[in-house]
Amino acid sequence: MSLLELDGVETYYGESHILEGVDLEIEEGEVVALMGRNGVGKTTTLRSILQLTPPREGSIRYRGEELVGKETHEVADAGVGWIPEDRRMFSQLTVEENVRIAVPKGSDVEAGLELAWDAFPDLEEIRDRDAGDLSGGQQQMLAIARGLVGENDLLLVDEPSEGLAPLIVEAVHDALEAVAGETTILLVEQNLPMALDLADRFYVLDHGVVVDSGDADEVSTDSERLRRHLSA
Amino acid sequence: MVAALALYPFVYALLVASPLGTEAETLLPRVDTMVGVFYFGLFAMSFDFVSGYTGYLSFGHAIFYGTGAYFVVLAANGQVPLLAPGTPFMLMLLLAGLLAVAIALAIGALSFRLSGVYFAMITLGFAQVAYVFVRGWDYVSENPKDGAAVSTDVHPDGFDVGIPWIDALNLEIGRLTGDTVEFLFVSLSGTEVSYYMVGLVVLVCYLAMQRLIHSPFGTVLLAIRENEERAEAVGYEPFQFKLAAFAISGFFAAVAGGLSGGYGRSVAPDSSMYFLVTGDALLASIIGGFGTLAGPLYGRLFDETVREFLSKRGSGGGLLPYLRDHLPASVIEADLVGGLTVGGAIETFLNGHASLYVGVIFVLFVLYVPNGLLGTVRDRLGGTVAKQLPDYLDRYRRD
Repeated sequence: MSLLELDGVETYYGESHILEGVDLEIEEGEVVALMGRNGVGKTTTLRSILQLTPPREGSIRYRGEELVGKETHEVADAGVGWIPEDRRMFSQLTVEENVRIAVPKGSDVEAGLELAWDAFPDLEEIRDRDAGDLSGGQQQMLAIARGLVGENDLLLVDEPSEGLAPLIVEAVHDALEAVAGETTILLVEQNLPMALDLADRFYVLDHGVVVDSGDADEVSTDSERLRRHLSA
Repeated sequence: MVAALALYPFVYALLVASPLGTEAETLLPRVDTMVGVFYFGLFAMSFDFVSGYTGYLSFGHAIFYGTGAYFVVLAANGQVPLLAPGTPFMLMLLLAGLLAVAIALAIGALSFRLSGVYFAMITLGFAQVAYVFVRGWDYVSENPKDGAAVSTDVHPDGFDVGIPWIDALNLEIGRLTGDTVEFLFVSLSGTEVSYYMVGLVVLVCYLAMQRLIHSPFGTVLLAIRENEERAEAVGYEPFQFKLAAFAISGFFAAVAGGLSGGYGRSVAPDSSMYFLVTGDALLASIIGGFGTLAGPLYGRLFDETVREFLSKRGSGGGLLPYLRDHLPASVIEADLVGGLTVGGAIETFLNGHASLYVGVIFVLFVLYVPNGLLGTVRDRLGGTVAKQLPDYLDRYRRD
């Protein structure tokens, strides 16, 4: 049984038909990259899994259990974490409060903080600062730290390198690589080298359907294959 | 700030007795006014607890304030089933709060399915239904439109604030019925005793709300205010947290209403359940600082001070009587323009227009001090006053 299975998922924003039957599978321990041009439905796929934008048709099974019809907090409680596109810190909370709030109910908060500070020592130094005052790179580190302490079995990561300086992208790559050892990841990423380096497998979305998929290694040496789908 | 408020009645009495007594009376709120600032400030803080910390404007919050005030007055008159008129006041406050919690859960369960202006409107709708109901509820009194008063036959004494059933640990509050205290060289009038006892209840309620705000529960409320979707994706069910915040704020609003009913020994629908009562809490929150908890109390203090300064009362306090009494007759009668004398201008612009000027101040606050008094001070200091002020002063001393 796959950890996550999407079967014929169709999602709308009002009357706009965004996902037109997405099929996708993720095995436990994998890092899967979801790629495609802007506006093809990558973020909507993540939002559909989280039930933030529930699908009208199709099925999303997590560990064999249907997610469609559940509330978002129930999906989160089941072990699905989210690092959103714009990082969406709780900007008026401090760095520490942002981490604390991500520790699941009933878990050891202090152990969660220790885990976050071990992974990102720089964050510990600024634990009392408001998250809204952090740089883009620091915010992304915090977002990943929150994903790390969330004890998630599956982490949905949306455009983690977007808008970051190359040096910071490298740090984000390393951080995600470290998290990948612990957690299954579905990664939406425009930065192809980074995505393919981290991923075991990939899916390409176009116009709301999966048009290509395979092992990341296959396309690493066959750049023409992806370019066909991803170039405008 | 607590120390400053604790000293206020003494400072006020000293200043009033000094050569600048008239000016002090004109500028400073009376101790009686400060009692009102305390209990209404508590109501405004309870409004801020839910509206400032979850972002949901509870426009019908007066329903809880009115519930507290009506409950206390009716209980004191023996009109609440199973509750004797002699029930300790503190117990009445607790029961009023619990009744408000039940009402808040019922209203919130429906209202929190909506957001934004729709939430504000549905809560307003519930409060207006309650307002119309109590105005016509002749069980309350013979003339329910004017409300009800505590019967001196049934409940002749003031309401005790303190530890229930232990006489030595209680003091009565009330404008006319409050206890007086003589201790060593200190002599406190009934109003001053009420000031301290009502202030004590408000302080305890404030500390309780502050503790909740700084608990993990409060952190989740802030997260919901900032990004409800994200908070839910972290695993928190916003509905439950918002409903809990609403119920807690309803409890403290009812305690505030109960204090108002107990201190004034009366309740009226227009000053307890009407939507403008919520409007006053909103005004206090915006002036004091939304989402600061203590700010609305300062906002109410500012509001009341300005209103009293601009009031038309003839005896003591207020700018109008001060000018009437202190300007020479030649100035009062001097012609300004087109037959309008200085005295006429003072009457025209000051008599009965306090609300107009408060409205102008409100607009100025929204435009130029959007974070309110306390919010702006916190922004300048870079954190809460209690935490940052010592460091700030230390830096200042070193410079």
